[in-house]
Amino acid sequence: MDRLAEAPKSTFLEKISTRHFRSGWKAFIIIFFLLFVILPTVWVLSYIFTDWSSIETVMGDPDLMSTIYDAILASFEIAAIVTVIDIIVGLPMAWILVRKEFRGKRYLDTLIDMPLAVPTAALGFSCAIFWAATSSNVNAPGFAPGFVDSAFLLIVLLHVVFSYPYMVRSLAAILEQIDVTYETAGRALGATKLTAARTITLPLFRAGLVTGIILCMARSLSETGGTMIALATMANSGNFETGPTLIGAWKSNPDLIPQLAFVSILLIVISLILLIILKIAVMKIKLPAGKVWPKYERILSRGWAPFLKDSTSSAFLFIFVLIPSFFIFTYVVVLPYQSAEWGLFWDSLFYSFIIAGVVTVLDIIMGVPMALYVARGHGSKIIQSLDVLVNVPLIVPTAALGFSLGMFWGDVPGIGSFDFILIVMAHVAFTYPLVVRNVAGAVEEIDPSYEETARTLGAKPLQAFRRVLYPMIKTSILAGAIMAFTRSLGETGATLAVVANANTAPVYIVDLINTEQFYTAGLACIVLIIVSYVFMVLLRYITKRRVA
Amino acid sequence: MPGIRVLNVKKSYGDIHAADGIDLEIRDGEYMCILGPTGAGKTTFLRALCGLTPLDKGKIFFGDKEVTKEEPEDRGAVMLSQTYSLFPHLTVQDNILFGPDIRGMSDPDKEKTLSSMLDLVRLTSRSDAYPRELSGGMQQRTALARALASGCDVLLLDEPLRALDARLRISLRYELKDLAKSLGLTTVHVTHDQDEAMVMADRIAVIKEGRILQVGTPAEVFDSPVSPFVANFVGQSNFFKGTIESSEGHTVLRTESGSLLEAKATDIDIGCEAVLAVKVGNTEISKDGVGFLQGTVERILFEGRYLHVDLLVDGNGRISAKVPSWRMGKIAVGDRKQIRWNPEKARVFPIPEWGLERELKVE
Repeated sequence: MDRLAEAPKSTFLEKISTRHFRSGWKAFIIIFFLLFVILPTVWVLSYIFTDWSSIETVMGDPDLMSTIYDAILASFEIAAIVTVIDIIVGLPMAWILVRKEFRGKRYLDTLIDMPLAVPTAALGFSCAIFWAATSSNVNAPGFAPGFVDSAFLLIVLLHVVFSYPYMVRSLAAILEQIDVTYETAGRALGATKLTAARTITLPLFRAGLVTGIILCMARSLSETGGTMIALATMANSGNFETGPTLIGAWKSNPDLIPQLAFVSILLIVISLILLIILKIAVMKIKLPAGKVWPKYERILSRGWAPFLKDSTSSAFLFIFVLIPSFFIFTYVVVLPYQSAEWGLFWDSLFYSFIIAGVVTVLDIIMGVPMALYVARGHGSKIIQSLDVLVNVPLIVPTAALGFSLGMFWGDVPGIGSFDFILIVMAHVAFTYPLVVRNVAGAVEEIDPSYEETARTLGAKPLQAFRRVLYPMIKTSILAGAIMAFTRSLGETGATLAVVANANTAPVYIVDLINTEQFYTAGLACIVLIIVSYVFMVLLRYITKRRVA
Repeated sequence: MPGIRVLNVKKSYGDIHAADGIDLEIRDGEYMCILGPTGAGKTTFLRALCGLTPLDKGKIFFGDKEVTKEEPEDRGAVMLSQTYSLFPHLTVQDNILFGPDIRGMSDPDKEKTLSSMLDLVRLTSRSDAYPRELSGGMQQRTALARALASGCDVLLLDEPLRALDARLRISLRYELKDLAKSLGLTTVHVTHDQDEAMVMADRIAVIKEGRILQVGTPAEVFDSPVSPFVANFVGQSNFFKGTIESSEGHTVLRTESGSLLEAKATDIDIGCEAVLAVKVGNTEISKDGVGFLQGTVERILFEGRYLHVDLLVDGNGRISAKVPSWRMGKIAVGDRKQIRWNPEKARVFPIPEWGLERELKVE
């Protein structure tokens, strides 16, 4: 057994397996992350130091300040309300998905993710014609509820739709890891179902709750496209603005740079502070897990109460999430056919796809190695702080992020004039954490001894990854890729903030609605939904086949 | 095939010294057991050998070649972890062929390796099964076949039998050793189970707190321990503290209560404080004659072939003895017994500077 004689002369593999190359590659990945993701994301903060005087001018204008104040306050109020609603209705749903067995569970499981396949621009329009009182030239179908005339309420309803899946998924993921035997043990000791769930399982999933809250708040705080569309579609939105829509509206005016910078800085700083407070609060605040009320909890654990809980949470899913998401299909069916100019839309759709594709590929190449370092580097302080930093672009509202990015790259000679590169860079910044988080989560679950054993069996680090770790985490890579792709495809705020007249599909739809071409907008939304759905299914199918 | 030489290897994690200057020589083709309690640094030592844990200090040689800085894949030392780490997405066959595949072995050679390995571990009929479909024993054999197929010459086993049930564990001891021996592999087997080490090892290295305390054949380690800890960890011992009274022929130790105990001669100075250790199995109890000590039977445990007897010794605390089961019925709780042993089987050690309690403590 002469092992050396069997070693192949694959010089390329040899070369990239040397320690030097590996350290170099690691440094490259980390530098990419710091330089291309983190730094541009918070670059706008430098404005405070370089151009404080113009910010002072903004702060000196009371009218402007009250507009900004109202918009930002509205943003955070909406985010908070939406998150609370998501927790209340998401928790029972997560419970049903993980702990209950019933026929058709698989379909329910897929239904939850459906809104993720719908770009928020389409969602905004669909929700608005379903809920909102609209003007007659929108031609909303007569059977839509159509009674909401408060812009604030409409935006809350809209944000619940696309943040709900994030909450359910985060809670379900943690719930799945909590051993049901704890609860069984509690029940064997005499606790009712509700008491056991509340006092034993609930305190164990604070972590999932934090993730869910952060994702929901961040999604709500950054959403721009859907919000702008919903506001434009409803009959009388007044002067209602959120932080991101303000950025979206002001971006096209070059005189408003200090105002934009100010709003972006506020959004970024408040979000980061909120994140820190949330992290501390959720871990410190005690849930009332010590007390039990046996009598009432017994009543609530039996008979009609659990049934009511399950049926209301299912009903909520349909009435408040699914129907508003897909209501747009009825709109196009009901209205008579109108001819429209399609060339521009196909161009923008194509452009969006290219961008989302390039972004996803970049995310995977740069994000998967980062995820490995984050998941396997618990010993190192540097890696631990990277782990925290990865979350930053996730929390920063994308409109602010886009503005910050535009400032950063605009200063770099040569880059600033390429819209395509700017948009790709912006999209990479906010989708990169999705890939890293997904993959790092999966890698953390896998015992490092698999790769280590592979190494001792003679595999180079790259071979150990490709042959051992990759097959185990490929579904998470795929999940991350799908999230990144659909997020990029549907993103409006960051795109608008970085390039005012970008030609992506969601931006095109916003333009259509602003110019009251509702029918064409509706059709464009449907095409966007179908195309991204087909693409998701296709991606799943291809990856499954190639591996099997 | 190389022997392994380890020179002054050090590795710390914060304040914990997982390897605190380990020197060890493992001979070519030897089956070496590293025996120690949990947290003694056994796994760290094994990981250092195969290159998964970088050293703070020290050198490792495989044969004449220094491998201290070599990557794990270049060492030819395969680690078999406690849980075997069979790749769950590969069948038995693909698991076994992992090493040959990586090294780019030709197809006919792979074919040959596979069939000989499957044959060797008696898994030919299960070659298409996935690891989760196998029993614990089969998983262990698959992992072994995978290691051997990679063409390694050093086998590193981290508690390889721990996950198996008791009966299988005992029968696999012989199988594992025979296989390693017949292939001429240099094997390092880490365990906390002294019976396992005694039965399997050519030599045992007893490790504690990152240091090797004693290296020797199982008989040497059992009969001539170098410290109270080794005496107690490799076969339980009874301990008696006292001062050295005389050292002619046998060493005589006077306990605090005035009893005179005999042990194999030592060179500890007369008048010094010392501790005498005698294996539980070498402690004899009887009704008649005059023993070194007298005691009362407190408890009798039936262990199958042996009875485990706990006695309260006058003025000397509790001790234990093992007697053949046929004496059951002749011993009862409350009996007065004479306690003695063959002085050649008892050892005297200086009192450890950190005290006997801490010396014997096993976490």
